[in-house]
Amino acid sequence: MFRFGINKDKKKQMIPLTTLAVGTRAAIASFSSNNEFTERLQEMGLTRGTEFTLVRKAPFNGPIELSFGSVRLAVRTTQSDSIMVVPVL
Amino acid sequence: MHDSIHPHHITFVGTPNCGKTTLFNALTGLHQKVGNFPGITVEPVIGKIQIQHSTVHLIDLPGIYSFLPKSVDEQLSVDIIHNKISDLPKTEYIVAVLDGSSLEKSLFLFSFIAELGLPTIAVLTMVDEIKARNGILDDITLETILGVPVIPVVGKKGIGLQDLRDSLHQTDKFLVPNTIVQASANIEQRHTAVREIISQVLTIREDKITEKLDSFILHPIGGPVIFLIVLGLFFQSIFTWAEPLMSGIESLFSYTQDYLRSTLPDSLLRDFITDGVIAGVGSVIVFLPQIILLNIIIVFLEDCGYLSRAAFLIDRIMGIFGLQGRSFIPLLGSYACAIPGIMSARIIPSEKDRMATIMIAPLMTCSARLPVYTLLIAACIPSIIVGGIFSLQAIVLAGLYFLAAISGLCIALVFKKTLFRGATLPFLLEFPPYRVPSLPSLLIIVWNRSKEFIKNAGSIILLFSIILWALTEFPKAEIPTGMTSLQAERIQLEQSYAGTIGKTLQPIFQPLGFDWKLTIGVIGSFAAREVFVSVMGQLYSADVSDSDAQLRTILQQTIPFATAISVMLFYVYALQCISTIAIIKKETGSWKWSMIAFAYTFMLAYSTALIGYNLVKLI
Repeated sequence: MFRFGINKDKKKQMIPLTTLAVGTRAAIASFSSNNEFTERLQEMGLTRGTEFTLVRKAPFNGPIELSFGSVRLAVRTTQSDSIMVVPVL
Repeated sequence: MHDSIHPHHITFVGTPNCGKTTLFNALTGLHQKVGNFPGITVEPVIGKIQIQHSTVHLIDLPGIYSFLPKSVDEQLSVDIIHNKISDLPKTEYIVAVLDGSSLEKSLFLFSFIAELGLPTIAVLTMVDEIKARNGILDDITLETILGVPVIPVVGKKGIGLQDLRDSLHQTDKFLVPNTIVQASANIEQRHTAVREIISQVLTIREDKITEKLDSFILHPIGGPVIFLIVLGLFFQSIFTWAEPLMSGIESLFSYTQDYLRSTLPDSLLRDFITDGVIAGVGSVIVFLPQIILLNIIIVFLEDCGYLSRAAFLIDRIMGIFGLQGRSFIPLLGSYACAIPGIMSARIIPSEKDRMATIMIAPLMTCSARLPVYTLLIAACIPSIIVGGIFSLQAIVLAGLYFLAAISGLCIALVFKKTLFRGATLPFLLEFPPYRVPSLPSLLIIVWNRSKEFIKNAGSIILLFSIILWALTEFPKAEIPTGMTSLQAERIQLEQSYAGTIGKTLQPIFQPLGFDWKLTIGVIGSFAAREVFVSVMGQLYSADVSDSDAQLRTILQQTIPFATAISVMLFYVYALQCISTIAIIKKETGSWKWSMIAFAYTFMLAYSTALIGYNLVKLI
């Protein structure tokens, strides 16, 4: 039950991953759906609270690249619109 | 020192891109056997090493992230570890390959390995990368925490390999790991535990080199430009480099045929050897240059880290057709030849995307269609210039290529919406750090794949070739004396089973405007499409000479324009290639998919040719 793990203050700053700007740093707040995709993201180290950078977006609204620790990975925007993040100031 | 008397089995487990295969290849060299699992893309490999006087069997499994599989390939690895595959030896000892440059993922997987409670050794790879990034890894502390020996190696340079070899045959060096996470820990808890370990043993800087290279290679404008250059080189090299080798192989085989024909006594056995067996073996070997070259390029691009970046750039466009970025490589490869193209679909991790890619690969215009197109275009399309600079013949040729590509992609979409609905594996591309590939390891992988092609697909292709030879050779026709050899060939072909089949099937092809000669040509093409040209030569120019220019003139006079268009449209779609049918069976693990591919391409070819024929006749 990931979505209930966040307190109310944080919830206000939560935005969908797909709206994050290139070059921004953010932390994973919640995965609103729990499926193989989000499970794999967590296995690779993108767990709740993990900070990452949105490095770049592929042309024509293609995949987006995230970087955290020594991992760099790309995900499709259509698949990741259920992931909520909190930008790190 | 304790030497085991019986060969023991050691299973290598690690994450994707952790350097496991390079290490495995450095240890075993060519002493390995690729496990054959139908429908599985990645190959579990069993290797043997001889250390002093004992033999040790090593098993290399496809990379995994956890023991929670997300694809059939990962399922296979996990099943082998858990002894669920009966024809493989039981998991006894484990070598856990830990990627030092990406330790969190590796230790996360190790948290699952530790729960097996089996004797284990940890091998630490990419220690040179840690150094290059000014990092320090305390392997002694790591050893204490994990409770197993930790052996640092650099697989490419052979550093640490001797230490590892020495340990592999001493079973008492393998230790049962410490418990590093509590029982039934979830993913988050495992990561927390792993991060705690890393904070004690590793300090490392960010990988600035990869970051810098990515800013060029994935640049919004520069990236696509580099991508197009790489694709151009890729395309060019399979066409131009493989071509001389292929014609060399062809002439070698035809020289052998001629030599045997002139030395052996005239008999059925001689014809069977020269035209059946040698021609059949030749038709297998002729694919090798393209298979080897395509695999060298693909393994190189994969190992240096470019392939997943290219997939990132092209993913959006392939996504429109229900495919993914990686589908691009097999489809492009299929323009040279569908055989290596379909084999290279293994780089697509998602099973359904891979299947859809394989099913449309035969529609990509392979080089075997080119002789058919050029013959018919030269014969039937007027050589005029339109729009000032464009040759009409060239426009028609380009049109045929374009038609095939766009139809193929649209059909991929249909397949993805029906038979291969949804994605079994969530789309997720990992960018490994840029690395210089290990050449020996690359060559071993290419060697294994070529061997596998000859063993599995080669035998089916050989069998089919011999059957096709028999169909054209029997029953033996009465050849009147005083005939030229070409006239004799024509009579034989007409009266053979193939000729009979052609004439019997003629009513089916009648609506497309084919006469019985064209029908035989189309059926003969199943051996290989370019056979069409030689069959046409035998059937049409039997009364004159067999020179190409004259064949064109004869075709021009005898084949109506509408029929020529109809034949070309038929060749755009029809899967007339027994080798492709064989490779689809091999790669999907079932004749079912070969048959489906054959049936749908035939229906498409037939209906398009029918429509084209009647449209042209109306105009």
